[in-house]
Amino acid sequence: MITLGLEEKNTFLEAINKKSGANVLNCYQCGKCASTCPVSDYMDFRPREIMQMIKLGMKEETYMSNSMWFCLTCAACSGRCPREIDIPAVMEAIRHLVIEENYRSTSKKVKDIRKFHEIFLEMIKRYGRNYELRMMAEFNIRTRNFFKDMNLAPKALLKGKIPLGHESTKSAKAIRKMFELAGKLEKRK
Amino acid sequence: MARVGVFVCFCGANIADFVDVPKVIEETKKIREVKYAIEYKYMCSDPGQQMIRDAIVQQKLTSVVVAACSPRMHEKTFRKALSDAGMNPYLLEVANIREHSSWVHQKDKKAATDKAADLIRMAVAKSIANEQLHEISVPVTKRALVIGGGIAGIQAALDIADARIPVTLIEKSPSIGGRMAQLDETFPTLDCSQCILTPKMVDVASHPYIELIPYSEVIELTGYVGNYKAKIRKKASYVNFSNCTGCGACWLKCPVKVPNEYNMNIDKRKAIYTPFPQAVPNKPVIDAEHCTMLLKGKCGICAKVCEKGAIDFKMQDEVIEREIGAVVIATGYDLWDPKPYEEYGVGRFKDIITSLEFERMVSANGPSGGLPLRPSDGKVPKNVVFIKCIGSRDESKGIEYCSKICCMYTAKHVVLLHHKVHDSHAYVFYMDIRAAGKGYEEFVKKAQVDTAATYLRGRVSKIYKKGDKLMVRGEDAQIGQVVEVEADLVVLATAITAPKDNPALARLLGVSYDKYGFMSEAHPKLRPVETAKAGIFLAGCTQAPKDIPDTVAQASACAAKVCGLFAGDTMKKDPMISKVNTEFCSGCLNCIQVCPYQAIVEEEIPMGHGSKEMRTVSKINEGVCQGCGSCVAICRSMAISLAGFTDPQIINEIVAI
Repeated sequence: MITLGLEEKNTFLEAINKKSGANVLNCYQCGKCASTCPVSDYMDFRPREIMQMIKLGMKEETYMSNSMWFCLTCAACSGRCPREIDIPAVMEAIRHLVIEENYRSTSKKVKDIRKFHEIFLEMIKRYGRNYELRMMAEFNIRTRNFFKDMNLAPKALLKGKIPLGHESTKSAKAIRKMFELAGKLEKRK
Repeated sequence: MARVGVFVCFCGANIADFVDVPKVIEETKKIREVKYAIEYKYMCSDPGQQMIRDAIVQQKLTSVVVAACSPRMHEKTFRKALSDAGMNPYLLEVANIREHSSWVHQKDKKAATDKAADLIRMAVAKSIANEQLHEISVPVTKRALVIGGGIAGIQAALDIADARIPVTLIEKSPSIGGRMAQLDETFPTLDCSQCILTPKMVDVASHPYIELIPYSEVIELTGYVGNYKAKIRKKASYVNFSNCTGCGACWLKCPVKVPNEYNMNIDKRKAIYTPFPQAVPNKPVIDAEHCTMLLKGKCGICAKVCEKGAIDFKMQDEVIEREIGAVVIATGYDLWDPKPYEEYGVGRFKDIITSLEFERMVSANGPSGGLPLRPSDGKVPKNVVFIKCIGSRDESKGIEYCSKICCMYTAKHVVLLHHKVHDSHAYVFYMDIRAAGKGYEEFVKKAQVDTAATYLRGRVSKIYKKGDKLMVRGEDAQIGQVVEVEADLVVLATAITAPKDNPALARLLGVSYDKYGFMSEAHPKLRPVETAKAGIFLAGCTQAPKDIPDTVAQASACAAKVCGLFAGDTMKKDPMISKVNTEFCSGCLNCIQVCPYQAIVEEEIPMGHGSKEMRTVSKINEGVCQGCGSCVAICRSMAISLAGFTDPQIINEIVAI
């Protein structure tokens, strides 16, 4: 059971709205997002429910859910939302706030997804673009699942889907600089 | 020798799919009197009607049978086709082979076909005995009576009067204005209710064609459409309006305090009072139930302070009569008493109020000067819970219908609360949000987004007290969890009910009402402003819950109907009415008892030709009779016949099957 009316203000809603640039209050709970979302069946709260939870100020439940981590940011939901809410931006805002406020899920799946994001960003930072082979190796090692998808590796290698070395890019330097600047901006906050 | 023409309609596929029309035609042609029989896809269309017109002339028909849909649908259409061809329109018979055959026997085509043939045979037999009938003309008294001075009555009266038709507007309370005068702002535009209503009230008072009789009620209505006679009781106001200037000295000095109905009993008024400052007429009346002078013969202060000597304690109720041609009923609505919601603690917890009480509180001329206050401690509330569908859509509490306006006024209250108390938060428990109207959905969305109100989908299960707060418990179906709201104030959106006097008034006027006490319209879709009684019309919530725009539209529609009725000096009426054969009438007068329209009166006629002795017979008033046939059925001496349904016609029909 949830008790409402104890807080002076719904600060959670305000934070989400500010961070995402969307207005969750526009949601009228039609559920088109939930039925559009390709992964909503895997979420413990579907996008519509997340919207209502934000409206009710249910911060803990929202942060500890897996919904925003499962979100693929495919934007099918916002493309079809009759109230034009940028739902992927809301999901992104939740992910940011979870990291900023240092919430940690106990779910293995969520932990793995978070690791995946971290490794991906490391790859970009280091090489300027994704280095698939290393990314896969790192992910398997860090998630202690060494042989995950290994059976696919020979075929993919033969077909040239996974280059052995990392591809160089001219703008690697610029990208590294972007990371540095972003880091500085983050600190300034 | 009769020459009957039979025209069988396919009604698209409605009839043809289940009734074998060619076979029916074949059967029909076997009847001796049928000289012409033909089928067509849509008999009611122009080519279909032309077939009838041509056949009447070419085949020299003496009567016509159309086998099609219900006569309620197209009898008038086909009658007109007959008269266009120079034939008396009442020589038409309609065999209803759609509602009575094809639609109800869809599973058995043979039975449907046989029944259609039977129905046609009956209609043919009846039509042979049809007589030429002619429309009846009745004179019209061009004055309308409008009952109720709310926005519906005001609008109807103004529109009728603008057509230069005199109107008598009666209102049971001391001032016109009704419920709308109690509202602060109106959805969806939030314009001030008083500002848009009071000019209309003043127009009513000053209109040369409107006679305004406040503080009065109808006590009798006799007569028939175009020629009604109404008795109106003017309740004693104990104030001589022609002397009174409305200065207000009397109510300032009056020592008796009475709960103020205008403010939903939140504050007190005096025993001599005007309901609200903008009242029309702006003259006080004395509340006889509370005035100590009238009850005990002591006091009389108002009379002493009145410089004009307008107070008259000896004034009596007065009965006046008006001859009128039409009536508009606009008695408005009452609000449902939420007492049965015991699980909410209604009556036990002071901080549970109704929406109209909230409306009065936030109203600029309200008891708290525009601020909502907790009745328990007079504090301004922070968390306000609004609960919709109180009584409405709750069969266990007695009302099945939706009150239609609660979704909208609750959204308005959410906005008003936000305007008046900036740091407040509204929680709304709703079942659905029904915002069907121009600008309504947009208004609800704006209310929700701008005020950040929390809308929770579910009915509240219970309310309990925790300290000085009320804990409101319900489920939010959107997240599938039970929620509790800590509330300072709870506002119940109570259902609209019919005025409790409606059934009595309906019986007095001779119109019908539904199980809730709302006046019944003649047809739910196609005749929504007329009652089943000719010349009596409905405007506003007296018929069903509705909002202001709908009420005004219906009131104007009533005015159009009244103007239409009064367009000529006489009115045309169907000739299918009863007639008494005085030779057979025994004077038992049973027919008077059964007539639902009071159309039958006693008459004294000579015993025989030239005789001086008199005997009693019954007489039917042509203008009032609606042709229901009750008198025909009760008449022991078979003295009454109903034109269009005479004994030979009915017997012919029976013999035919």
